Amino acid sequence: MFAVEVNNLSFSYGPKTILSNLSVRVDTGDFFGIIGPNGAGKTTLLKLIAGLLKVTQGDVKIFNESINAIKMDKRARWMSYVPQENYFYFDFSVIDVVLFGRHPYLKEMERPKKSDIDKAIEALKFTDALMLKDRNIMELSSGERQRVVLARALASEPKILLLDEPTSYLDITHQIDIARILKKMNRDGITIVLLSHDINLTSMVCTRLLLLSEGKMVVCDKPEKVIKTEVINNVYKITPHIILHPETKKPQLLLPE
Amino acid sequence: MRKTQSWFVLLILLVIAVILSFGLGPTGFSLSDLRIPLEVRLPRIILGIFAGGILGLVGASLQGLLQNPLVDPYTLGIASGASLGAVIGYLFGRVGVLTVPVFSFIGALTTMFLVYNLARVRGKITKISLVLAGVILSFLFSGIVMLLMVLTRKPLTEIIYLLMGRLNIVFTNESLISFIIIFILSIPVMIYLFSKWRSLNVLSMSDEVAESLGVETQKLTRNIFVASSFLIALTVSFTGAISFIGLCVPHIIRLIYGPDHYKVLPFSFLLGASLLIFTDLIARSIAPIELPLSVITALFGVPFFIYLLKKKL
Repeated sequence: MFAVEVNNLSFSYGPKTILSNLSVRVDTGDFFGIIGPNGAGKTTLLKLIAGLLKVTQGDVKIFNESINAIKMDKRARWMSYVPQENYFYFDFSVIDVVLFGRHPYLKEMERPKKSDIDKAIEALKFTDALMLKDRNIMELSSGERQRVVLARALASEPKILLLDEPTSYLDITHQIDIARILKKMNRDGITIVLLSHDINLTSMVCTRLLLLSEGKMVVCDKPEKVIKTEVINNVYKITPHIILHPETKKPQLLLPE
Repeated sequence: MRKTQSWFVLLILLVIAVILSFGLGPTGFSLSDLRIPLEVRLPRIILGIFAGGILGLVGASLQGLLQNPLVDPYTLGIASGASLGAVIGYLFGRVGVLTVPVFSFIGALTTMFLVYNLARVRGKITKISLVLAGVILSFLFSGIVMLLMVLTRKPLTEIIYLLMGRLNIVFTNESLISFIIIFILSIPVMIYLFSKWRSLNVLSMSDEVAESLGVETQKLTRNIFVASSFLIALTVSFTGAISFIGLCVPHIIRLIYGPDHYKVLPFSFLLGASLLIFTDLIARSIAPIELPLSVITALFGVPFFIYLLKKKL
């Protein structure tokens, strides 16, 4: 069974077409990357999969159920969504923020139980953020905050994790941190759909890549089949050098002069 | 452990406020004659708990919902609509104890519908459109109130109390019954607001994340707006627009107890109630005439609030 199935999906904001006639399948257990230039429709696609935008043309299925028909609570238990900008209006403690991930499991007015707190702590351990437990979210660095946000997503025990540019504000040390955590989650059976501008990073972590351009699919395949000079040149209008990573043998892109 | 303690402090504060307000006044207090405390001061205390509590609760709910520290229960225009209704009732209505409250309530509810419809853009309510619609209508209604006051040339003192807040309710049979009805009507609405503590917490991470966690943000926004407006309409009809309590009480509570709405909502109710009773006590004690409550909340509240902010920074 596919974790995510997108069939003939089109979407527009008013007269502006964002996605046209897109069909993609994400296998259960995949580490699926979405890349493409600015304005290609990546974030819109991710939000449609997340159920945050209403599907009007075509269809998005999550584990064979149409996204519009899935109850909100069930959807929230199946999928965790991590946006690019993680913003907090009030200065909650880290453990409180991670406990927000338990929201879909709690009844109206119910306080988090011992088991919920245990799950939150487990999630913090997983993302190597347990020592931040009692700190306040607003005093954390970007790298620390991103680990907390991932713990929040993990606390919902999702089957699918949707991420919008999780490494965009991070230095290389923290980028690798996050990539390792995501790979570990993927090994534990969580299907990951990750959207990124960082082609080299997606090449290293993703099992498959979708390259979008102007709302259409250019190619959807293994990184070796996507990160090729002529494909990149077609979409990004630059001629990069593609080399193989000496350890992983994954294609890596060097920018031209 | 810490939680029981904090409940306790706020509760003790409220009890002290009630005792002082019951015992103090120009005629003093003696056990042999309880007529003044029972007939004059007790109704004020009850109305004070009710109105102050609602101001605190609604202020906390709306600041949490709209994520705007400057929002208070009057930002959404409800109070100005109520004021306009009150002034119309006072100037043109038949004289009766309930004339002003009824006109005021009608004004408030009308405003609620106007704000809601103004704020709806392409079927969706946004935080900013709600605040803008409320502020715009507030200006309009304040303008009309001024116009009416100038044109009708009636003495302004009574109107100032209508607008600036008072607790000097006189309980006739008529007004007592309507107050009891209002009290009963408002309880489920208050419970609804309390019950939304976890959704309000989750909402502090942006609408999108809240929605991905299963919070129906549009429905929540609409319901909290309607519930808040309804409660404010009820209180303003009886007390006029008492400023500052709904703005500063949630801030004070958050400074002391943190941002969790599980605490912020009920604690704001308790502190709002105590502060309004103290305010009323001061308003009727420090000057030869009784002062409008908003004068006291502004004169005493603002310096205190500044002190709290500075201390925290």
